[in-house]
Parts: sequence; structure tokens; C-alpha cells
Amino acid sequence: MAMSDQEIKDAILEKALKNKKAQLYVKDFYKCGPDAKARKIKNLANELVTEAKMVFFSSGSTTMYVHADRQRSEEVN
Amino acid sequence: MAKHDTPLLDELESGPWPSFVTDIKRQAEVNPDCWDILGQLELSFKDRITHWKHGGIVGVFGYGGGIVGRYSDVPKLFPGVEHFHTVRVNQPASKYYSTENLRALMKLWDKHGSGMTNMHGSTGDIILLGCRTEALEPFFWDLTHDLKQDLGGSGSNLRTPANCLGESRCEWSCYDTEEACHHLTMHYQDEIHRPAFPYKFKFKFSGCPNDCVAALARSDFAVIGNWRDDIQMDQAEVKAYVDGTTIPNGGAHRDGDWGTFDIQKEVIDLCPTECMWMEGDELKIDNSECTRCMHCINVMPKALRPGKEKGASISIGAKAPILDGAQFATLIIPFIKVTKDDEFESVIDVIEEVWDWWMTVGKNRERVGETIMRVGLPTFIKVMGLDPIPQMVKEPRSNPYVFWSEEEVPGGFERDVDAFRKKHAA
Repeated sequence: MAMSDQEIKDAILEKALKNKKAQLYVKDFYKCGPDAKARKIKNLANELVTEAKMVFFSSGSTTMYVHADRQRSEEVN
Repeated sequence: MAKHDTPLLDELESGPWPSFVTDIKRQAEVNPDCWDILGQLELSFKDRITHWKHGGIVGVFGYGGGIVGRYSDVPKLFPGVEHFHTVRVNQPASKYYSTENLRALMKLWDKHGSGMTNMHGSTGDIILLGCRTEALEPFFWDLTHDLKQDLGGSGSNLRTPANCLGESRCEWSCYDTEEACHHLTMHYQDEIHRPAFPYKFKFKFSGCPNDCVAALARSDFAVIGNWRDDIQMDQAEVKAYVDGTTIPNGGAHRDGDWGTFDIQKEVIDLCPTECMWMEGDELKIDNSECTRCMHCINVMPKALRPGKEKGASISIGAKAPILDGAQFATLIIPFIKVTKDDEFESVIDVIEEVWDWWMTVGKNRERVGETIMRVGLPTFIKVMGLDPIPQMVKEPRSNPYVFWSEEEVPGGFERDVDAFRKKHAA
């Protein structure tokens, strides 16, 4: 049975929290909803940002996602 | 009064050309923080290494683009540039402004930022240089609420779309580039403001094959105006060029002594496909061989014009990066109608077909042109549901790309080798 949006969001958050690297590309979340289209995963990851559960990390040319609990201050740059 | 000694930078003011050092010094008289830009750059010249750090968790809430984080790695020496974030503001289509708008924008930037700008950056956006983190949200509020303007794209987002002047100023435009650019900018707001892709993705819209926004070289998705019937000709005007009544090139280069206009030398012999010739005093064109180089139309604009059945060609996969080399786009759709009548659905359908594939197959930090190169053009056009056409061949006979699949071959690939050997004895 296909995963619900909430289940996919929970899986994304878990991946963002437990992954070795804190900064993840949107593509790294595709497996969190194996049956969902890539654009669906992107939209759900972005919803998590608006819910303040994740934050964007931008290098300028690329944008990644970081779990809100794993963000560090800009001094890490 | 200069805050730092900058002998190396001062050297850059000694040439006959305009100097950014002079510009920054002038701005520093207004905003003293700008002295630290010069101080840090002088140190970088001495150390031969940049003292900027870039990127980070910086931006306005809910947006994953439009702000590029910049920090000094020597903030104690240069506190004025401790935070010096870049803000990309979406430029209006064709970069038409009122002076009222420009003044309001600068007033806002003087209030919240350094007052330094880069009009326009290579992205096409209005680039505002130098903002502290805590000033970003107040600036964004004023920008969106008072000026009704918005941020542009950065990161793995759809980048701010760009277009040529199109039908607003140019008689050669084959579609309304401004309408197309504006419509798609509004249609894809989510993709511009939030990361959506493995890497950056750019649209550019040129009205004719002169390609004034360099879409073919610089955008992942180039929509370039084109026509599919014959070049319109006015033989009376051809004669006027030949006898010198009309000045060629629309009067450009007229100050030089180029001699009398020679249609054979300056137009016909320069046609890349040699599809033009004179019959008596009439110009003839084999339109089936025309590659839309635009040279003849540019030289004799009163005599020649694009055809009447207008639309665009779509080429995909250009990039102009510093690393790994630049790449031109490949022609994928030879002709498509581009019109607001269908809300640009015909173009949107192609865009989303490409995105759905690239988002799945593309690797992180891989432009769509690189993905196409990695998997091969045959795979890409198959995914797009297109038939190969000769224009897709990069190097005929040296780089074949059309392969038969087994189901296309009568009898498949299985064969009786013994029967073959009997028929074709060694």
C-alpha cells in the first residue's frame, strides 16, 4: 500500500536526523517514499521547511536540507 | 578618508577604464562599512587567497533561494563585511524599469544593505551585494510589500527566467518573449523559491535565432523564436541594397569606409549552407536548406524578414560553467507554437517531461545537459517520446547515435549463423 504524505514526511525527518551527513540533497529523500514521484517528495520536504522542522542550507549553487535539530550557526561555514 | 591602505587596489584605478575600486571608494564615503570590502580584498591580493566564505543556513523564511550567504573569514579585521550576503531580486521581463522603481529599490537597499549593486549579474537578476543576516527579513518584507517585487532563484532551484526584448522592440521576434517569460515565472514560483532539482535549471527566451539572451549557450531550456515557412523577401528592396540606395546592416558600421555594398561577397558567399544565389537582379533562397543563421536578414533587414508562420525551437542542455567545460544546447523540438492562447501549455508539457525524467535520473549536482550526455541522446529522446531528426546529429558518420532496437528489426537479432555463412562464404 502506498505511503501517506505524513508517513513520507516522517521518513524524511528520520533520514535527515539519523543520516551520517547532516546536509542532504532532495534526491537523498527519494527512497523515503519509494512509490511517490520525485516532485511529490520535493513538495513534502519543502513543507517540512515551512513547518520549521527542516532548514535549507545553500552553497549558492546548490541547496540542501538539514534537520532543524542538526543545524548549526553560520559560524560553521 | 580611507580606512585601510590599499596600494594594490589603487593600481587598478590607474588605467583608462572605469574601476570598481573607485566605485567602492565612492560608496564608502556614504556607507563606511564599504571600506572593509577594500581592506579585505587588499588582504586577499596579498595572501593570494579569498577571504570570503559562502553559503550556509541563511535566507528568508520559507525560501530556499534568492539569498547567497557570504561571510568574511577575518571578521575581526573587517567587521563591516562580517556578514555580506548577496540578494538576488527577480528582474522585470526585458529589464524595463521606471526611474521611480529604481530609486525606490536603491532607497530600500541603502536602508537595509550596503548600497552596492551589480546591475545586472550574469544570472540576469538585480544583484544586491552586502546585507547582514538580521537585515534580510526586514528587507524582504519591504521588497515584497512596498515594491511588490520578489526574490529570484539560486541554489538547486529554477533560476530566474530571462528573455530578450522580444516584440516590445524587435520586429524579428517570432513570439512574445516577455509574455512567455512572465507567465512561466509566475507559473513556477514554487520552483524558483524552493529547491526542486538535482542542480540548477535555467529557462531563457529569445525571440529569434539571433538569440540575444544567449539561450542556446547558457540555459538548460532554450526557447528560441523560429519560423517554418519561407523567409519573406521584397525584391525591390533587394535592388535598393544592391544599388546603394539603402544602407546595409540597418546603418550599423556606417562610419567606416567599407566600399560599396557587394551582395555576393557580404551575403551570398557568407551563407553557411550556400542556399542563396542571384538570378539576374533577383535574390533566390532555397529555404529548405536555411539553418536560420540570420546573417542575410541582419544585413538586409528591409529586404528580408522571418517567415509568417512563427513559433519557436526548443533546445535543451546548455551550460556555461567554469569547471568541466561549456556545452551548447541540443535541438530537441524543431518547431512549436508558443502562445498565450493555450497558457503556454505546449511549452509547459515539454518542460515537465524533462523535469520528471531529470529529477529521477540526474545525479546530484548534474545539469540536465550532463545527464543527457551521460545516458546518451537516444535514451533521452526515447524518454521524451520523440523521433530522431538529422539536426540532432552532432558529427555525421563519426558519432552515430541511431540504433535499431530488436523489435524494430524483422526477425529480431536472433539469426542462424550457419545459414548466414552459407550465404556469405568467407
